[in-house]
Amino acid sequence: MKGLKKNLTGIGIVKLLIYAFFILFLIIPLLSVFLVSFTGEPINFFGSLISLDTMQLTFDQFKNATLDNFKSIFSNGTYFKALMNSLYLSLLVSVIVLAICVPIAYGIARTKMPFKKTISALCTIPLIVPTFISAYAFIIMFGRAGWVTYIYQALGGEGFLIDPYSFTGIVLVQVFFFFPYALWPMVAAFKVSDVSLEEASRSMGSKSWLTFFTVTFPLAIPGMLSTALVIFAVSFSDFGTPIILAPTDLNLLVVEAYREIAGFFNWGGAAILTVIMIAVAGFVFWLQNAFFKGKDYGSLSGKPKQVKMNNNKVLTVSLSIFSSLVVLVPLLAMLTVFMQSIATTWGVEPLPAGYTLNHYKDIFTNSLGNIQNSIILALGALVLSIIIATFVSYFVVRQNSTGLDFMTTVPLIVPGIAFGIALIQTFNTAPLQLTGTAVILIIAYTIRRIPYMIRSTVGTMKSIKADIEEAAVNLGASTLTAAITVIGPLMLPGIAAGSILVFVTVIKETSISILMAPANWAPMSLAIFQNILRAEYYSAAAMSIVLVVLVLVLQAIANRFSRKQL
Amino acid sequence: MGSVVVEQLTKDFSGVTVLQNINLNIQEGEFFALLGPSGCGKTTTMRCIAGFEKPTKGVIKIGDKNLNGLAPNERNCGMVFQSYALFPHMNVFDNVAYSLNIKRLKESNIFRKIGVYTRMINSKLAKYPKDIEKKVMDILEYVELTDHAKKLTSALSGGQQQRVALARALVMEPEVLLMDEPLSNLDQKLRHTMRNTIRQIQQDLKITTIFVTHDQEEAMSMADRVAVMKDGEILQIGTPTDLYSNPKSPFIADFVGTSNIIPGKVIDQENGLSVVQIGNQTVKSVATADKQEVQVIIRPENINVLNENSMEYDNSFDGEILFSTYLGSTVRYDIKVGDYTLTADTTYESGNHILKSGASVKLGVSPERVLLI
Repeated sequence: MKGLKKNLTGIGIVKLLIYAFFILFLIIPLLSVFLVSFTGEPINFFGSLISLDTMQLTFDQFKNATLDNFKSIFSNGTYFKALMNSLYLSLLVSVIVLAICVPIAYGIARTKMPFKKTISALCTIPLIVPTFISAYAFIIMFGRAGWVTYIYQALGGEGFLIDPYSFTGIVLVQVFFFFPYALWPMVAAFKVSDVSLEEASRSMGSKSWLTFFTVTFPLAIPGMLSTALVIFAVSFSDFGTPIILAPTDLNLLVVEAYREIAGFFNWGGAAILTVIMIAVAGFVFWLQNAFFKGKDYGSLSGKPKQVKMNNNKVLTVSLSIFSSLVVLVPLLAMLTVFMQSIATTWGVEPLPAGYTLNHYKDIFTNSLGNIQNSIILALGALVLSIIIATFVSYFVVRQNSTGLDFMTTVPLIVPGIAFGIALIQTFNTAPLQLTGTAVILIIAYTIRRIPYMIRSTVGTMKSIKADIEEAAVNLGASTLTAAITVIGPLMLPGIAAGSILVFVTVIKETSISILMAPANWAPMSLAIFQNILRAEYYSAAAMSIVLVVLVLVLQAIANRFSRKQL
Repeated sequence: MGSVVVEQLTKDFSGVTVLQNINLNIQEGEFFALLGPSGCGKTTTMRCIAGFEKPTKGVIKIGDKNLNGLAPNERNCGMVFQSYALFPHMNVFDNVAYSLNIKRLKESNIFRKIGVYTRMINSKLAKYPKDIEKKVMDILEYVELTDHAKKLTSALSGGQQQRVALARALVMEPEVLLMDEPLSNLDQKLRHTMRNTIRQIQQDLKITTIFVTHDQEEAMSMADRVAVMKDGEILQIGTPTDLYSNPKSPFIADFVGTSNIIPGKVIDQENGLSVVQIGNQTVKSVATADKQEVQVIIRPENINVLNENSMEYDNSFDGEILFSTYLGSTVRYDIKVGDYTLTADTTYESGNHILKSGASVKLGVSPERVLLI
């Protein structure tokens, strides 16, 4: 009792509240979705705590718990097929991404390739665009009325060059819009790999291409495998591309789970799919940690190394052409969306019939609500993230709180659609009926994106020496007062950088928005999604452009901030 | 101001004992130094007093007040950190005013509190009351920083930052001033000036001060008394002169100044002098030892390098110069005597010539200057 009382200082209460928040909105939902995968029907977790009848009911549900759902993975062909398809998709995407990233990364890191700066800049485009917009861009490029299809047919081709509504379509969108996630880590890997090792190889008479394949490349392999796993996870959790492009006969886990819950209210089915998704994502995360943490080939010594840039004309020009082709695809995709947004009509022609700003006018008169919703929801998530992340980083850095450290990493692993299903299930009934409210939406956004914020604030917190806080306490301040007057103000740059990241990712967020947003709180992403489903392509295009511009502006501000910090 | 009493202080860090049975009795207004090599537990002792470490066992008292169970912010110990730990987002004035703001915070109602918080987060947003302003400016004048009040601390030199840290600790009128290696970040010359400044201020305010350092010169020149620590224990407490002339162990003899330490064996008592066998020679000492196996300790300045018409010494040896080091006012010789190498310091006056390596010399040591431990 005495110990408890001692912990109930101001800062101790804050810590308890944060634990409560994560347990309530992250751990319990995930646990409950796991239980539902056995019972097959939703359990009322919170109801059981306050009402005996509900608790009795819950117990009865547990008595009827079976492994039927798990058996159904194998008996029910659809689920098993969905799992296999999803795994195959992610594997294929990561292998292709790896293959196209190696030359580009080498070009950026180690050669004097022409247009290096431009190519690097263009590589950031895919990071700005939410995947369902990229998928939609592919439809208007490669679809029935797309300009690519027009050119292809004009050149004598039959049908489509590539059918966007297909497995291939999904793979292409994911490859061209996810490759930057792998590119930058790989560039870093090529940059740090010790040049003196290569020089040693050269001095022993090895040719430069031989050196690349025997020294440079093998040294970069651990880094590459690790990034391949990142791509695997990103592709596996991606909801935006498959939901737009997956044809009805192609089962993918994310789409299947969405259909089970949004279409058939099949709680048990959705739960089992969710459990599978989390299991796979968790396994990939574990694999990455287990094999690649601290196992890099330790070429990072403190002394700055002069990297000798390869200046072979043939090599650099061909690398440059290849890289340009890769970055051109996302660029063209976004240009196409832009053209569509200012087109009067755009049939099977290389260019629109005429130009107009009416679609934008339309958006700003009829869909202003969606923009407002997006901003309000993102701001809500932002405020919540700032408060939680600041304290969490304090507890993690200063008090070495491994529990909080772990809990705030979990959202990184759980695919958005899985997390959404878990939340819907848990907060579906009284006493905590939050499904369909803005509150749960904001909480979902917050939890999903808070790891980014925490990474930023933990970094800043680590740079604030412990004795500065001790000095404040020594001068009479309580820990809480020290946090407010000294630690807080010192953390502002980190908070600012993290904030914009959270804001941007929330505005881009697809899976949670589509799954959980109620009609009166529909954010831009949901509005665009619905417009695409209704084939209202022009307003979808205009809204997409507004969203991308918003993200772009915020990202630019964020870059300003982080540069100032340095 | 108060006396500081530490009784039976023991501290374990996850099973490793870093402090063992520390007992200190520091007088009111005393300047007390904790001296020892790094890792000896001197900083941990100070952090226990400040409340940043919780003792595993033992009692710490300031005056009659038992500090056990008091949080660091309730102890009223001003601390000057090794890195100064100035708040980088505040200017000099705000740094110094911090503890006064905190005091105001504790006395205020909720509305006033908001005002104080605002001022602490950004002093441009809310004004300081007159009394705080005066107090801060007074102490800044005292440490000669009046002109720098509105500057950010990062714009100050090392010595100025040091004085801000000092002013910040002093303005809260602490019962005890704790200083953790405060001079280690300064260059040689500034360190000497700051030594005087700190000693001056301490004498002025008569504030009980505990000073942690690994630099014996610093401890000896500033402190009233010094506790020498090693491996989490206190080896000896005494005034600087006491420590220098009567070290209780070879470690202290070596740590506090330089010493020639030679193992020997007491073989006889003769006219009140102990006769100690070292190799095949003997040394006479006024000291008495309670055991036979002893360490013979002779300070370098007590070994006289003799010329022909010097007086006679009870102890005299023949030696050969191995090496000489010219140090300005003194010359240090390494001299081979029998199986041992002794260090001897001689005063250098201009015109003297420095003995070359290989030269044969006669050495004399008076028995009063030979210690036996």
